Amino acid sequence: MQLVIGIGNRIRQDDGIGPLLAESLKGYTGVEAIAVHQLTPELAERISRAERVLFVDASLRGDGISLDRVQPGEPRGLGHTLGPSGLLFLTEELYGESPEGWALSIPGSSFGLGEGLSEEAESLLPAARAMIDLWLNEGRNGG
Amino acid sequence: MEREILIEPVTRIEGHAKITVLLDEEGNVSDARFHVTELRGFEKFCEGRTLWEMPSLTARICGICPISHILASAKACDAILAVTIPEAAELLRRLMNLGQMVQSHALSFFYLSAPDLILGWDADPKGRNVLGLAGKEPELVRSGIRLRAFGQGVIERLGGKRIHPAWAVPGGVNRPLSAEDRAWILENLPEAKRTIITTLDLFKTAFDAEARSSLGDIPTMYMGLVSESGEWEHYSGYLRIVGPTGEIVLDRYDPARYSEVIAEASEEWTYLKFPFYKPLGYPDGIYRVGPLGRVNACDRFGTPLADAELEEFRRGGRSGRTIDYHYARLIEILAAIERMERLLKDERILSTEIRAEAGINEREGIGVHEAPRGTLFHRYVVDRNGLIEKAEFIVSTGHNNLAMNATVREIARAYIRGGEVKEGILNRIEGGIRAYDPCLSCSVHAVGQMPLLLEIVGPDGDLVERIVRDGQ
Repeated sequence: MQLVIGIGNRIRQDDGIGPLLAESLKGYTGVEAIAVHQLTPELAERISRAERVLFVDASLRGDGISLDRVQPGEPRGLGHTLGPSGLLFLTEELYGESPEGWALSIPGSSFGLGEGLSEEAESLLPAARAMIDLWLNEGRNGG
Repeated sequence: MEREILIEPVTRIEGHAKITVLLDEEGNVSDARFHVTELRGFEKFCEGRTLWEMPSLTARICGICPISHILASAKACDAILAVTIPEAAELLRRLMNLGQMVQSHALSFFYLSAPDLILGWDADPKGRNVLGLAGKEPELVRSGIRLRAFGQGVIERLGGKRIHPAWAVPGGVNRPLSAEDRAWILENLPEAKRTIITTLDLFKTAFDAEARSSLGDIPTMYMGLVSESGEWEHYSGYLRIVGPTGEIVLDRYDPARYSEVIAEASEEWTYLKFPFYKPLGYPDGIYRVGPLGRVNACDRFGTPLADAELEEFRRGGRSGRTIDYHYARLIEILAAIERMERLLKDERILSTEIRAEAGINEREGIGVHEAPRGTLFHRYVVDRNGLIEKAEFIVSTGHNNLAMNATVREIARAYIRGGEVKEGILNRIEGGIRAYDPCLSCSVHAVGQMPLLLEIVGPDGDLVERIVRDGQ
């Protein structure tokens, strides 16, 4: 199973792009897609059951969509939320290993209160979706 | 020379705060202040909104305990509609509140406080967190995570989503419980029960002894809802206040009349108000709410396992030990699980008669119930069209404000003598605050973490000493 986690808040405009993309994958065979506001430790168990995991999140940087490997790493600041790297680290600590982790970052430009994406973020949706499909295909073909 | 010690911000709590310790001329602690420095102003911007959107609107006060606000709000709205909600709706609201209690207490205990209690106050702060704990006690963390996920699962199955479900509405709830969802909860209850029983055993036998000992202990009164017969209550019932040794101060008191016995004081150095028990005045009317408040206020839980734990908890009488908030929190998780079992075996819980319909029949409504952190009050005044003219919330963290300040003062007194600051004060002051599991999102502000800074400042404002803890 490949896991896609969309991170963000649907009522903070472009911050909602991660959840929006994750929800568009629901029903895909062999894919579990979830939308969350934050990464919390409970996700470690689900991640431990996945073959690969992709974190999809809006970024503040405006230099295009990026797909990067995420390695497990101990975070410095910690409460009840984590980043992708810290969550993979927790998964390793608790379940012995963590799956291959990736992060898809999509630049956003508007993060104010409100539903719906900005025109700029909306225009990036097809490319972001294509990258997710490519990532899923790679996984189906053995990564 | 007077000096001031500043700890800013306090970490691993729900929100931001800073602490100032004031020293007298001999260098001993004269006072301590737990500052909440941000203002949210929810009461003000609810004005002009319609009654019907209040449960969903006030749920946004907090991402950790939205259910608490949804339920208090729905109850205040029921009072304005002047309806008795259907039986099944009350059972379902109770079930939701118990799910909320399990997930919130599990978050507080396993994620935020267990690292202190197991690894010890003086463990390196960089590893004194849930990740450090995962390395040392992976089974405990795994089971704690699953326990919280169970509580969230109950909420999700009832409300359709884990956070901010638009489910409890004026007059009842908007979705019945399906047989399938009831089966899921019943199926998962035994594991949740095993987890909490194991954790309670560990807490009593294997946790760091020093971390479980005295930590800013203070004699206070305790407040909580109890049933007609004095049992632990979380959704309805009467207000009860007991004294430090359990003597009844106020009993069988209608919570809707809270403003006759509870008032709020303000201080210029914090946005968080100070509720106090009116007959004793401010600040002598100090009381505590939340797990320790409820456990000390009730006669019994009314379920076998939790009652056995309560008996053990009470062997030395009522506990005034701040650290026992954690112990009480674990017992409440067990009680919540036992109560859930009982509720789910009641066939009425599957009824589809779940909402009473009515218009605006009263101009004022008060909703009170027990949130995980303590008694929560919502009071609304509406016009004839149901538009909010006034909204007032007294939240759990507010009730504990006087006590949190007193706790910090006592810890500081134990660690600062003659101007000498002993090692480990930061961790213990934070731990003392954390025992209350304060939710500053609810009381005024939002969630986050930042580094820790302690400053000792002279009377002329000059910095005498500064201790920085980076990115805890």
